[in-house]
Amino acid sequence: MNNNSEKKFLTSFDKSYSAHIFFKKPDKYREIENHSRSNESIITIGSNYSYAPMGFDKNSLAIDLSSFNRIIDFDLDKKEITVEAGLKIYDFLKFTLKYNLWLPQVPGYPFITLGGIVATNSHGKSCGTHGTIRKSIKKIKLFHKINGWLDLSENKNKEVFDLTIGGLGLTGTIVAITFKLTELGSGTFETHTEEVKSFGDCYKKIADNKDEETFAYSWNRADNIKNFGTGFIYKNKLKNNNKTNGYLREIKQKKISNFLPLSLWNSLSVNIANNIYYKIQKMQKNKLNEDLIQVIFPYIGRESYFKLFGPKGFIESQILVSSKNIEIFMDEFLNIFKKHSPVITLFSLKNMRGEHNYLRFEDNSVCVSFDFTNTKKNMEFMRLVDKLCVKHKAIPSIIKDSRLDQKTVNDCYVYYQDFKNKLKNYDNKRVYQSAISNKLDL
Amino acid sequence: MKYLIIGASSGLGRELAYEYAKNKHDLVLVSRDLRDLAAIKSDLEKKSEIKVEIIELDLNSEPEIEKNLFIERFFNEIDGILFPIGMMFDDDKIGLDQEKMKKLFKANFTSIAFIISKFLNSLSSKQGEIIGFGSIAAYLGRKLNPYYSASKRALESHFESLGFLSKKTNLKIQFYVLGYMDTNLAFGKKLKLPKGSPKKLARIVYKNRNGKFKKIFFPRWWGLVAMILNLVPIKILFFMDKIFK
Repeated sequence: MNNNSEKKFLTSFDKSYSAHIFFKKPDKYREIENHSRSNESIITIGSNYSYAPMGFDKNSLAIDLSSFNRIIDFDLDKKEITVEAGLKIYDFLKFTLKYNLWLPQVPGYPFITLGGIVATNSHGKSCGTHGTIRKSIKKIKLFHKINGWLDLSENKNKEVFDLTIGGLGLTGTIVAITFKLTELGSGTFETHTEEVKSFGDCYKKIADNKDEETFAYSWNRADNIKNFGTGFIYKNKLKNNNKTNGYLREIKQKKISNFLPLSLWNSLSVNIANNIYYKIQKMQKNKLNEDLIQVIFPYIGRESYFKLFGPKGFIESQILVSSKNIEIFMDEFLNIFKKHSPVITLFSLKNMRGEHNYLRFEDNSVCVSFDFTNTKKNMEFMRLVDKLCVKHKAIPSIIKDSRLDQKTVNDCYVYYQDFKNKLKNYDNKRVYQSAISNKLDL
Repeated sequence: MKYLIIGASSGLGRELAYEYAKNKHDLVLVSRDLRDLAAIKSDLEKKSEIKVEIIELDLNSEPEIEKNLFIERFFNEIDGILFPIGMMFDDDKIGLDQEKMKKLFKANFTSIAFIISKFLNSLSSKQGEIIGFGSIAAYLGRKLNPYYSASKRALESHFESLGFLSKKTNLKIQFYVLGYMDTNLAFGKKLKLPKGSPKKLARIVYKNRNGKFKKIFFPRWWGLVAMILNLVPIKILFFMDKIFK
């Protein structure tokens, strides 16, 4: 590895992978070029909040773009903004909200970088309405060690543009992005809470939500078979005539990656926590006002949830299942749940809108999410869930679930081979590599 | 008020640009790479409602300096100049190639003195500010970076001389002697002492800018290190170097 790199011990957010890695932190454009050329294998790192190790690998030089956090251009009339990829969502929204504009597809934590959300094709709570971030990307400026500076858009280098969105950072360093912004009529949401008695009841109510202006998602119990699927549906609707006033509540970035030395999540504690949460929700009014941060960044103020997973961390599984297959998928899921009694800490449903291609987690489907503790029993349970995904043509998220192996991804992602071939064709030395790309043989 | 920042594209220079912009001052930013300057300009203008001019300039070229900086408008408009620049070479050792030696002296000392000399009259007529940045490396001859430290020692001496001038004129002269800073110059280097924050220094520089003459160590405790280095006879330092080899 080259000189003047900083060596750090880094762990993925889900704690599944750790390695000593070498860093470079350019703060000039020519340094991006020089550092990229100084090493055979490289990868760009954002804030390292990806659950799976997307931004580093023990054999790759990690290029940290956090100094590239500037607003390059802003056109209020066109509602377009060009920003550098190291800018964090929170700082981005602080600027755009002054003009009552935003990106609705941002993920649930505000300190993720914009380069990261492009590389992962992120989505937010409103993905049933707004789809993924792909919908808002107009242009990308990319640097590739061999191919140099590239401008990507629907009209220019389209194939690389498509490979880059949701391409896990494997096409090069995303340096700047032009987004099409969406108007935000209000800074306050009205949240309606509705109780659901079973998974079927929940799914039906989520699927029936045809209101384009409402973001619907659920919280369901999965701590035992008796109460599986009971819970609540939350429907966030923007309050009319209540402009954002350019205001985004001040929040501070906390260190959330320091998990406790032992796991406090087990079947008993999950049951107790779920009972408490359930009772609190039941006692609360079924209609309340929430600000933008409460709605789009649900983990703010609830960071301790992750810490309780302890040193072995957690796995989040997020699966897209077609509405045609969701009922049979969940029936079979429940059968293996009965046999294995996994410890699931969180279970949730929402709608997803989009078009699946390459490695993008995107489709017109139902998005099922659940978190579980990293134990042998749960891993066995998940191996059976993987088989269910293959059987029912469901798509498990690579970004979230670091456990997924190459075979499962190959079987579930119909465009996996196409992505791999096109990537190789574009970069036959396969310069940009992360722990996940190595695991998935990309 | 309008300030000229030479070396504004990264590290301390970039932090100074943001600090002065935050305080609503128009800026003229100078650096070798227009791409970096353009990004800072647009970001500052979008966020701070100030005017920013950018100039791509190689401080090794006197004709370029003359052509781009020594223009009537700048003499009239600029109220202060900051020089947060420092050039280093990894192979800077005794016997360094002559071209590189020249480059080091031009970037770290000669061109700064040249720019100051041309702006001296216009700045002293309006209580202008000149702010320079040296290095603790200038306090002792060394095996690594000897030409860098020599050029910084020349710069410090020059600012001390300007200090005399500030007593007789309206000029405000500030000089900062920097220890290890958390910038790209120190990135990846195994340093035995902690690094100072450029953001914090930028705030201090802005706060102090109205003093007549000040020489300040940053972080502060480097002043003590400098004092010890000045007190200990050089022969003892040579002897210690021999022992710890």
